[in-house]
Amino acid sequence: MTAIELRGVTKEFADVTAVDALDLAVEEGEVYGFLGPNGAGKSTTINMVLDLVRPTAGTVTVLGRDATADSVAIRERTGVLPEGFSVYGRLTGRKHVEFAIESKDADADPDAVLSRVGLADDADRKAGGYSKGMQQRLVLGMALVGEPDLLILDEPSSGLDPAGAKEMREIVREEADRGATVFFSSHVLGQVEAVCDRVGIMREGRLVAEDSVEGLREAVGGEETLEIEATGVDAAALDTVRELDGVSRVELDEAGEGTVTVSCAGGVKTRVIATLEDSGVTVADFHTTEASLEDLFLAYTEGETPSSGDTAHVDDADTTGADDAADAEEVQR
Amino acid sequence: MSLPAVAKKDFQDTVRSKAMLLLVALFSGLVSVMAYAVRPAGDGDAFATELLLSVFVGPLLVSTLVPLVAVVIGYNAVSGERESGSLKLLLSLPHSRADVVFGKVLGRAAALSLAVFAGFLLPAVVLAVIPVSFNVGSFLGYTVFAAILGCVFVSIAVGCSAAASTQRRALIGGIGIYFLFVLFWSTLTGQLIGAFDGVIDALPATDVQIRTFLEVANPTTGVQVLTNAFLGEQLFAGETVNQQVSAAAMLVFWALAPPLVGLLKFDRDDL
Repeated sequence: MTAIELRGVTKEFADVTAVDALDLAVEEGEVYGFLGPNGAGKSTTINMVLDLVRPTAGTVTVLGRDATADSVAIRERTGVLPEGFSVYGRLTGRKHVEFAIESKDADADPDAVLSRVGLADDADRKAGGYSKGMQQRLVLGMALVGEPDLLILDEPSSGLDPAGAKEMREIVREEADRGATVFFSSHVLGQVEAVCDRVGIMREGRLVAEDSVEGLREAVGGEETLEIEATGVDAAALDTVRELDGVSRVELDEAGEGTVTVSCAGGVKTRVIATLEDSGVTVADFHTTEASLEDLFLAYTEGETPSSGDTAHVDDADTTGADDAADAEEVQR
Repeated sequence: MSLPAVAKKDFQDTVRSKAMLLLVALFSGLVSVMAYAVRPAGDGDAFATELLLSVFVGPLLVSTLVPLVAVVIGYNAVSGERESGSLKLLLSLPHSRADVVFGKVLGRAAALSLAVFAGFLLPAVVLAVIPVSFNVGSFLGYTVFAAILGCVFVSIAVGCSAAASTQRRALIGGIGIYFLFVLFWSTLTGQLIGAFDGVIDALPATDVQIRTFLEVANPTTGVQVLTNAFLGEQLFAGETVNQQVSAAAMLVFWALAPPLVGLLKFDRDDL
């Protein structure tokens, strides 16, 4: 079964389309990292899954049920760490956890929950006096109550120090080992790559890439970006290079001044150069750069074309690349 | 059924609120001072608990201060959580929005009732000490009616809070509720009757009947009618029985309708 499924989901607010025809599926038992810069539509998406916000169009299904109609039943089996929450300042940490236990009709020990998130010593302090990181731990503890089938964590590491972020990752892993599905969002790639089975990258309300972390790492790790300064480049030469094994992307720079950018596996660099020269291109100079996962993330989220077409299943990136190439050919003619 | 969990949490949260403690202390102090100030100089029997409550404490303190305390603790019930973000915490747990609104009505009504009882403790001590004939039954019964008045105002204020998308609007609504019901009701209904003179003539009711109904439709007047009947040992009996029934029915209406209307709006909102 699919834990979270969005089909053609759009959310328009008065002046902005926050989520645009989004299709997303999170499989049961997986840890899914939901990435994107602030304002990409991640929180709106999560809020629709939680029925805090209703979609303008499309359907949201969570644990096999309709997100709006069966929201309470869904939340009985879901643990949530929302973004931008605040705690009840006048109530103690223990009262918060007790409230979660009572609300979920669960059979849990408040002290065990609190010690799991490292708040055993602060259980009887009022939560209003907690630091941001402690409040984050407290609400994570509330989310863990009752062994939920699905954990939804919106920016779970915000406010946590590196040690806290590490503990957070450990808890995510424990929960996944227990069999829970974990769906969490972040705007920092480093926090998700260590724990996620799969990653989706949101940008401007759309999912622009989705793959396993291994897939992204392999593709990017094995690839280099080759920048070649050349004269006499034509469309035919670019096509020949494009057809080489191990070459994923070939582009002429926008001004058409003769800088060719090629993404390819490390071993085919010399073949690329040789092929260009065979096609009558004069290569003046070239240099290579290795792309990191961070580069890929930035490329997706900041508007450049991603350096690896293979890893991206989703439209935007690929078509943009193709358009650029077409433009480049236009210029040549 | 998660309504009791929300109500309990909200009760615990509200009774820890400093604003409420302060208002209760003020209320309690004022009632005590008034009980002491209007005490008879000589023979205690001439001055009964009932008289003190229905003539002095009731109109001057209970019908002005109890609604004030209720509005203060009710107006931010939903909107305050919405603005601070704790509503996200609440709705992360398996509570429906109806659970949230009615849980808050119950939790805060319980907190207010506790406050009213606490507020009447000190005056009870004063009454027991000064030379009046202290009638415990009347006093306790009166406290119950004061609590009912407060609960109705909590309902109205929470309903308004649920409908308000911002804390600012909820505050304006709360102030509006207080002014409407406590200060301007008779002026306003008088104006209404004047304006709809022609319509009223066509209705199968006399002008006086409509005026009476509109008067008891105000929860503060409604509770006054009922308490006066209670203190006169004529509750749901005697000449004013029809008026009392109307008053009781309107109290039930005010306790239920505002949270329902507020929920209708709240249920559709994006949070």
